[in-house]
Amino acid sequence: MKKLAAMVWLMFAVAALAADNDALQPVTNAKSILQDLQQKMSALKSVYLNFTQERQLKLFAEPLKSEGVMLIGGPDQIRWETTAPFQSILLANHKSVAQFEQNDGQWEKLKLGFPQMLKRVMDQMVLMTQGRLDALTADFTITVATNRSLAVLTLVPKDENVRAMLAALEIRMPPDFSATREVVMHEPDGDLTRIIFTHERRNVVFPADTFDQAKPLEIAAVRTAVGDAP
Amino acid sequence: MTRPNRWRSPLFARLLEMRRNFFILLLALLAAGCVTSQPLPKINAIRTAQLFPPEALVTQRGVLTVHGRQFTLNGYVARSVTRGLRLIITENLGGVLADVLVKPDGKVFVLKSNPPFRPAWVEHYFAADLKCIFAVAPETNGPVQVLSPAHFVIERRSYKLELRTVEVKPGLQPAEMFDEIKGGQR
Repeated sequence: MKKLAAMVWLMFAVAALAADNDALQPVTNAKSILQDLQQKMSALKSVYLNFTQERQLKLFAEPLKSEGVMLIGGPDQIRWETTAPFQSILLANHKSVAQFEQNDGQWEKLKLGFPQMLKRVMDQMVLMTQGRLDALTADFTITVATNRSLAVLTLVPKDENVRAMLAALEIRMPPDFSATREVVMHEPDGDLTRIIFTHERRNVVFPADTFDQAKPLEIAAVRTAVGDAP
Repeated sequence: MTRPNRWRSPLFARLLEMRRNFFILLLALLAAGCVTSQPLPKINAIRTAQLFPPEALVTQRGVLTVHGRQFTLNGYVARSVTRGLRLIITENLGGVLADVLVKPDGKVFVLKSNPPFRPAWVEHYFAADLKCIFAVAPETNGPVQVLSPAHFVIERRSYKLELRTVEVKPGLQPAEMFDEIKGGQR
């Protein structure tokens, strides 16, 4: 009896492993997948996500980690806040971008150099999170591959100067494309940055001043409001 | 100071298109500004190297101010009193902007530099700043102010760099980290 139970467990384990390691199959009609994705995500009015960012450099035995939250409110408001090991807030909307750094417990607003560059990055993050990838086809060649447990959207920069720094960007989602689980940025030399998203809350109502570019609300208050208080 | 026309060159226009790197214009700023690294007078004579374990990985957050504009950087310093210093600088999303090794005898190897940072700048500025703070025998006229044991300001004529130590992991770092051949093949 014990042997039988062990065999059943083993079969489950092998099946689970197989599902995870199932080879990704390229999807031929990526355009229709992207349209489906955009349609599914169009109902997304706002989203709250925790993230862990792991910088994997070949020389380091362990990844260099940071963590924080990403908030997207409305069509174009984004707040990317690093909470550890340092505190920094990036805010952007359709008009402007702002960055704050915490110094000795006080937030200092930076006089940003060339904010249009930062805003462009933030805009692209909003588009990716909202599944509006068709808007990125001018800058990236997008392919899709799936297996039973995973869908991977791979974005390869069209500009060779960009490719010299960023070989590819992967967006990893469940097979039904219902959420962004991970974003992986591959560099040409094999180093990579992995951003893992957790604690997703959809269509939350953010408190006033969450995206205020003069004095953003403290993240603890935002977390409490969306039900992600520690 | 004059700002040459490279601000509007085709190369510069292409660089502007690089989506991930919002430090691009530092290239022009540093090129156009005073690129001499003549230090301002030293204000604080504390031996900053003594603030760190002899063998450690130190994470710092930096705010670089150039011509009144500010940019944030992350710095990862592998320190070994016997084997040298290795600094990797990344931008906000993790892309490596510079990678430099300083041997115990002070010799500098620039192992990687990405726009806007040219190898010469990495060697002249980042390596010099690294030595100012972490070297066992720091440069005697390093322009570093120590505002607290975890807060430093380096001020040169062309820029100001404010650094905060956010994490220190004591312990031996991998030997290849300090090998310009093995550790340079990235």
